[in-house]
Amino acid sequence: MKFNGNLFYFLTVFYFVDAAGYALWWYNSNGGYEPIGTAAIAMLGFMSLFLAFYIKNTGKRQGVVPEDRLDANIEEGDSEIGYFAPWSWWPFFLGLFCAMAFASLAVGWWLFFIAFPLALVALIGFVFERSRGLNAH
Amino acid sequence: MATATASKSTYGSSKKTKGQILVDWITTTDHKKIGYLYLITSFLYFLIGGVMALVIRAQLAAPGLEIVQTKEQYNQLFTMHGTIMLLMFATPLFAAFANILMPIQIGAPDVAFPRLNAIAYWFYFFGSFVAVAGFFTPQGAASFGWFAYAPLSNTTFSPGLGGDLWVFGLALSGFGTIMGGVNFITTVLTMRAPGMTMFRLPIFTWNTLVTSILVIMCFPPFAAALFALGADRRFDAHIFDPANGGPMLWQHLFWFFGHPEVYILALPFFGIVSEIFPVFSRKPIFGYKTLVYATIAIAALSMTVWAHHMYVTGSVLLPFFAFTTMLIAVPTGVKVFNWIGTLWKGSITFETPMLYSLGFLTTFIFGGLTGVILASPALDFHLSDSYFVVAHFHYVVFGTVVFAMFAGIYFWYPKMTGKMLNERLGKIQFWLLFVGFHVTFLIQHWLGVIGMPRRYATYLPEDGFTWMNQVSTVGSALLALSMIPFLWNVYITARKGEKTTLNDPWGYGRSLEWATGTPFPRHNFTSIPVIRSESPAFDLNHPESAAPEAKAAPKKKG
Repeated sequence: MKFNGNLFYFLTVFYFVDAAGYALWWYNSNGGYEPIGTAAIAMLGFMSLFLAFYIKNTGKRQGVVPEDRLDANIEEGDSEIGYFAPWSWWPFFLGLFCAMAFASLAVGWWLFFIAFPLALVALIGFVFERSRGLNAH
Repeated sequence: MATATASKSTYGSSKKTKGQILVDWITTTDHKKIGYLYLITSFLYFLIGGVMALVIRAQLAAPGLEIVQTKEQYNQLFTMHGTIMLLMFATPLFAAFANILMPIQIGAPDVAFPRLNAIAYWFYFFGSFVAVAGFFTPQGAASFGWFAYAPLSNTTFSPGLGGDLWVFGLALSGFGTIMGGVNFITTVLTMRAPGMTMFRLPIFTWNTLVTSILVIMCFPPFAAALFALGADRRFDAHIFDPANGGPMLWQHLFWFFGHPEVYILALPFFGIVSEIFPVFSRKPIFGYKTLVYATIAIAALSMTVWAHHMYVTGSVLLPFFAFTTMLIAVPTGVKVFNWIGTLWKGSITFETPMLYSLGFLTTFIFGGLTGVILASPALDFHLSDSYFVVAHFHYVVFGTVVFAMFAGIYFWYPKMTGKMLNERLGKIQFWLLFVGFHVTFLIQHWLGVIGMPRRYATYLPEDGFTWMNQVSTVGSALLALSMIPFLWNVYITARKGEKTTLNDPWGYGRSLEWATGTPFPRHNFTSIPVIRSESPAFDLNHPESAAPEAKAAPKKKG
């Protein structure tokens, strides 16, 4: 995961430098500061930093994985990649009820009180579908 | 490659009732099927948005026409044309191709979060429906332009349910896009097959990764801005009130999303043609690493150029944004150089996907050049909000999205369905589309230069815009006609197209999707070839010219 982390560190540095450059340039030509753009670019820097830090740390704990080795063979990967739900009804209903809830903000509160509980049910259904409890996998 | 999946007992059986097929599609968590859903839905929106464009062109065919009954309806048409084409056609089309291909290209059985993937699709599907549902309300759909400038977008100037539905529908479909982006990033980072290092990823997968990073950077501010606008419209929040600088806040937030959005549309389609050029030039991609670094550079820079849409406000830092905007032409130029380098001295054949990729290249370069013109504030002050801008962004966006979409569809159609599309119809369609497009939009550059503003419902005979508009309208009819051979092609191929079972029907496929069955098996692979370069399928099928490590390594381990 070496390059993945470095990619986000590169973005971090780029956006912090860019935010500073933007702020200084603005200060030089107009005086004061421009809050919207400066904040927006700086926040990109923070987001990239979070991602870079997380990916680097995870990579360090994992050590070198087969997908990052040039000479790895397919059979060196995990024999079981994971559990893939073969189908699910919940995404459809969660989408439908969330759309109703979002539309209710435009249409009127009466619809919200119908759609919101339905969306909650769908959300809970989605989250706990195929759940076997903590650490039971 | 064992995947612990309890397969549905009915899966793959040929005797399914219509209801079972419908349930299969609605409840699917298979990344390919979700990709096909994205592809079909976004193509339908492409046709709907296209019909709107035709009405707009008909209205402008002569001065003083009243094909659209009211000016308000005209406003709704161009607003929804922009919204549909960008957020309901092109953005989900990225999700379509990324879903279908990216997991296969990295040798994964599915995306990292299959059910999240399904939710992302349904959020897009229902969210888009909410956003266009304004057409079914008495006052009609949103009419404040797809970039919804404050204060025009508040309830004083744009009352009505249509605008509210637009705001909240887009917010929902935006969440779907964010979820898709997170899913793609996680998949590329964690689900690669052994040996598939970051610098062996196919270019399309690289571009998917980089585009997804752009998505998670720019869609959240957009969602926030939309909720703020919704709060303004529905709950009198006064966030974008002109009294406290709201218009500039909205424009900054919108274009902070809106400009990277253009690159979200462009980058994946750059990826598609980067897959196609090597196959039909019989050469590896020229300068793989520079292409990757150029993609990253474009993405990083694209977040810092947004205010070039706001030169004429007079309150942005002109030299800064002119500089970053012109800077972005450098990595883009590197990409063009790479593509031409790939073609250079290759033994090129002109199958339909290649034709479309070349059509993309010429059209996109033209759009890029006018982009540099518009990046210069001195020129932009004259051209802003004129038809020059309309021509520019149609060259860029149509050039990348539509040309590369058809390239990709023709290219991967055999892998998706097991049947090749008809080449002759494909070529007829290409030339209709290519000529139609350029007749429609080339003339609009001059229309803009002599001063025709965008978004005006009509013009006067004395303006001197008439013949140019007529050329453009004729071109748009030709463009629309080009959809007929395509739809006919899809139909006739489904009815009596020749089946292909070859893993690699084009003969020179490079990335992993050409090393698996046609059409794709349920979890993508029964076996994966050993990966020793960025072209594992080519190494497998053409051992005589494979990468040296691939020759030494044992074949067909799975």
